[in-house]
Amino acid sequence: MTEFLTTVFNLIQGILGVAPTTLALALPWMDIFWAFVYFVGAVILLIINVIMLIWIERRAAGFFQERVGPNRVGPFGLLQTVNDTIKLLGKEWIMPASADRMVFLIAPLLVVTVAVTMYGLLPYGPGITPVTLNVGILFFLAVSSTNTIAVLMAGWGSNNKYSLLGGMRTVAQIISYEIPMALSIIGIVMLSGSLDLGEIARSQSHVWYVFIQPVAFVIFTISALAELTKSPFDMTEAEQEFVAGYHTEYSGIRFTLFFMGEYANLFSMAALGVVLFFGGASGPWLPPWMWFIGKTYVFILFLLWIRWTFLRIRVDKMMKFNWKFLIPVALANLLVTGVGIKLWQHFVERSI
Amino acid sequence: MYGIGIIKGLFVTAKRLFMPKITQKYPEVKPDLPPRSKGSFAFNKDSCISCELCSMACPNGVIKVEWHKGADGKKRLDRYRMNLGACLFCGLCVEACPTAPIKSIQFKTLFELACWRKEDIYRIWEKQHPAEAAPEATPVAANAAEGA
Repeated sequence: MTEFLTTVFNLIQGILGVAPTTLALALPWMDIFWAFVYFVGAVILLIINVIMLIWIERRAAGFFQERVGPNRVGPFGLLQTVNDTIKLLGKEWIMPASADRMVFLIAPLLVVTVAVTMYGLLPYGPGITPVTLNVGILFFLAVSSTNTIAVLMAGWGSNNKYSLLGGMRTVAQIISYEIPMALSIIGIVMLSGSLDLGEIARSQSHVWYVFIQPVAFVIFTISALAELTKSPFDMTEAEQEFVAGYHTEYSGIRFTLFFMGEYANLFSMAALGVVLFFGGASGPWLPPWMWFIGKTYVFILFLLWIRWTFLRIRVDKMMKFNWKFLIPVALANLLVTGVGIKLWQHFVERSI
Repeated sequence: MYGIGIIKGLFVTAKRLFMPKITQKYPEVKPDLPPRSKGSFAFNKDSCISCELCSMACPNGVIKVEWHKGADGKKRLDRYRMNLGACLFCGLCVEACPTAPIKSIQFKTLFELACWRKEDIYRIWEKQHPAEAAPEATPVAANAAEGA
C-alpha cells in the first residue's frame, strides 16, 4: 500500500515537474502554475479530510455512548458523509428577507478560504510543505483568527437575534482563548529558536516538546478546543440557548460550507499541535507524510474523546477560567521556560 | 485534588469505548422480546371449540368465527379471521378463551405486521373437514358482514 502510494505520488510529481517546461511558461506564470497546483492539493486534502473526519466523529461519538454510529451506507458507513453531502447540496438555500445580503453570502466562503489557507502552511513532511514561511506560526495564528470575522459576519448578516448572539459569543471566546494559545506557543518558539513550522518540527529530532513543555501542551489543548468551539466550549452553537448559533439561518450548500470549515479547522489545529508538540512528520519505517497524518488523527481522536466526555460549561465560567487561570499559568510557564533556557545555556552548554 | 474529576470522566468514557454496544442491529438481529409480549396472534385451530367468546369480547369486532354443525350436533370450525388493522392488542380475546390447558388464541412475540397491501393485514386460518363435506366458505359474504 505504502509503495503503491509512493509510486503514485512520484508519478504525479514527475508529471508536474515536466508540465511547466512543456508548456514553456514564463517565470511569473510558472509561480502561478505552482500556486494553483498547491491550491488544488490543499483543497483535495481538505475535502478528503472533512469526509473522513465527520465519519470518525460520528462513529467515535457512537462508540463513546455504547452505540454503533453510522454503519449502513457503504462499508462501515464510510459513504454516509458523501450521502449527507449530496442531500445537503440538493436542498434549497433560503435567505432571510431582511438579511444583509453581501455579508450573508460572503461569510461561508470566507470560512472555507481561511481553512484552505491554513492547509497550505502545514509541513506534511520534508519537501511536502506547500508554502514555506519563516514566520509560519505567526501567519497561521493570524489567519486562524480571521475565522472570527467570518463567524461574526454570518451572525450579523442573518439579522436574527440567535445568530447575532452566537456570533458575538464566538468572537469573545476565540479572541480570549487566542492569548493563552499564543503564550503557550511562545515557549516552543523560544526553545526551537524559529517561527518556521518546518524548522520547529525538525528541532524535535531528539525529544518531543510535549515532554519538555507539558504545561504548554495542556494549555494548548484547552485553548484549541475553545478555538474550535468544540465541547466543553461549544457555547457558540449551544442548542438549548440559541438554536444553532451563527448558522441558524443557513441552509443547503452554505450550511455545508460552514460545516466543512469547522471540520477542516479541526484537522489544521490538530496538525499544528502535532508540529509543535509531537515532532511533526518524523518517525521510523513509514514515510513522513504518513506519520504526520497518523499523529494528527490520533490527536483529533484525543480531542473528540474530550469532546464526548465533558458537558458544556457556563459562558461566564469559561471566561473566568481563561482570564484568571489559563493566562496566569501560561505566563508563569513562559517565565519558567525562559529561566530554564538561560540556566541550560549557562551551565550545560558552556561545560560542553 | 483539583481536577481529578476530569481524569475520572475521561476514563469513564474510555471504558465505554471498548464495551459491547447496546444497539441492536434490527433487521439482521431480531430483538429478544419477553415471552408475554403482545406482538401478534397464534391460533390453534384444532383446539378451538367455535364458542365465539373471543369474538364477543373483542371491542372492535376484529374476530370473525365461521362454523357449521356436524353430524353429532357439535360446532365445527370452518374459518377464523382476524382483521389486525383494527386490532388494539388489548388481549380481551385471549382472556375470554375457555379452552384449557392451552388457549386456542394466544399472543406470540412476532411483531413485524407491516405489509404492502391492505388485504395482507387479515389473518385467516381455515380448517378442512375431510370426513364430511364442509360448506364452501364465502369470502364475499364474510366481507359484507364485516363491513356492516
